[in-house]
Amino acid sequence: MDIEEIRERLGNKEAWVNKSKAWWLETPSLDVEKMARLMVDTGARLVTVTASQAKEGEFRMIYHWDLQGRLLNFVTTTHLITIPSITSICPAADWIEREIHDYFAVNFAGRELPTLVLSEQDPPGIFSWNFQWKAKTGGHA
Amino acid sequence: MSYTIPIGPYHPALEEPCKVQVICEGEIVQDVSLFVKYNFRGIEWLAERRNYHQAITLVERVCGICSNVHTLTFCNAVESLAGVTVPERAQYIRTIMVELERLTSHTLWAGIAGEVMGFQTLFMKCFALREPLMDLLETISGSRIHYGTNCIGGVTRDLADPEAARTTIRRVRQTVTDQLIPLFTTDKTVHARCAGIGKLTKEQALAWGAVGPNARASGLTDDIRRTSPYAAYARLEFKIPVETSGDVFARVVVRLLEMVESCSIVEQALDQMPPGPIHGPNFVEVPLGEAVARSEAPRGELFYYVSSDGTDTPCRVKIRTPSFVNLPTVRLMMLQENLADVPLINASIDPCYSCTSR
Repeated sequence: MDIEEIRERLGNKEAWVNKSKAWWLETPSLDVEKMARLMVDTGARLVTVTASQAKEGEFRMIYHWDLQGRLLNFVTTTHLITIPSITSICPAADWIEREIHDYFAVNFAGRELPTLVLSEQDPPGIFSWNFQWKAKTGGHA
Repeated sequence: MSYTIPIGPYHPALEEPCKVQVICEGEIVQDVSLFVKYNFRGIEWLAERRNYHQAITLVERVCGICSNVHTLTFCNAVESLAGVTVPERAQYIRTIMVELERLTSHTLWAGIAGEVMGFQTLFMKCFALREPLMDLLETISGSRIHYGTNCIGGVTRDLADPEAARTTIRRVRQTVTDQLIPLFTTDKTVHARCAGIGKLTKEQALAWGAVGPNARASGLTDDIRRTSPYAAYARLEFKIPVETSGDVFARVVVRLLEMVESCSIVEQALDQMPPGPIHGPNFVEVPLGEAVARSEAPRGELFYYVSSDGTDTPCRVKIRTPSFVNLPTVRLMMLQENLADVPLINASIDPCYSCTSR
């Protein structure tokens, strides 16, 4: 399947943009589950997902896939702070989603999100703009 | 009756922090949970609060073993964003450095694998081989670990003595082909400990996003040096070793054969390296935009995403290390295996917890 067919199947009218040796597709209302199913069916490998804070309570998400050596980047945004999980479709997303939850407190709907890099008692979202840092008490005297 | 065994956070095979919680029935592993939070340093967050030059020094500290490929990939992303062209000589020096780093990483891993198998002679042999490589890297860069050779637009140091590199590489290649490969592939102890255990199928490797030697030991053929060449790789000839059995032994074989290919790459790069400048202007403006870069680190594909708002500080740095995607596959490799094989299976993927947690 070529990348134009992928774009058409996702119903995206925007064209692919080629920059930094990779292909980028902006889709503000991307159906991430449909995209993940399509990519898994084509034999693509999930490289990672990049989250970054777009504005208060909204995150820009980039799903990076490797398709036969080509890097395809699907750009979308969360609805408030929630986006569907793709872990049940692509197991490689498991740790990726857990880490993003730790960093930005983004909710991945349809799954549990145990901490990955934080301790169980730590609040998620430590990279968010409005995160309230609190000094830990206790420990060594 | 099943029982739970917590192994770690002090790792049984490598002196790095990771907890492997194993649920067993008798001696057989029924389930595994991994905990990797112990080395979290918030390096992505810190990199977004340093200027581009400071961020190079910071990302070099993601890992002590593959530090050079981190700075290379970060610089590649920034150079792509800023439209900077790297001089040809610098591209060859970068290639030589990352291949020497791969050799030190693979010899470290092979030595530890030997130790975990209870084969101390193999451990000593691998670490003795690693020493001249470390010396060579120190000769080139001034340091045995964090080399500080990459900068935006090139490298910071020229390769002053190519003949010394040739001599070392000749010696390393001879030891690998004449001693290490026969020892690892024909010795009955190694075979008994490694063959048929810790299997990862090709389908599992793809579904879980495994990369590098681990993926290639399961039949996947991806290697970023070939599929998306960077530095001088497009001008060099090399084979990509692939095995299909997906067990610990296949991972051993792939890494050993990769060491021979690395020697060949370094030799070709030394022969082809043209004279000329090693870097461009000292400071470059990074415009508004975003870029990605990928490299084939010793443990597999390393991925960087960098976005800029036009200031001297990146506004987002995302680092996806190979161990981050390889480690979850350890659970699949350990299921239904013997408890005594857990440390070896874990060591067989050459995990780096410093890279994983960042």
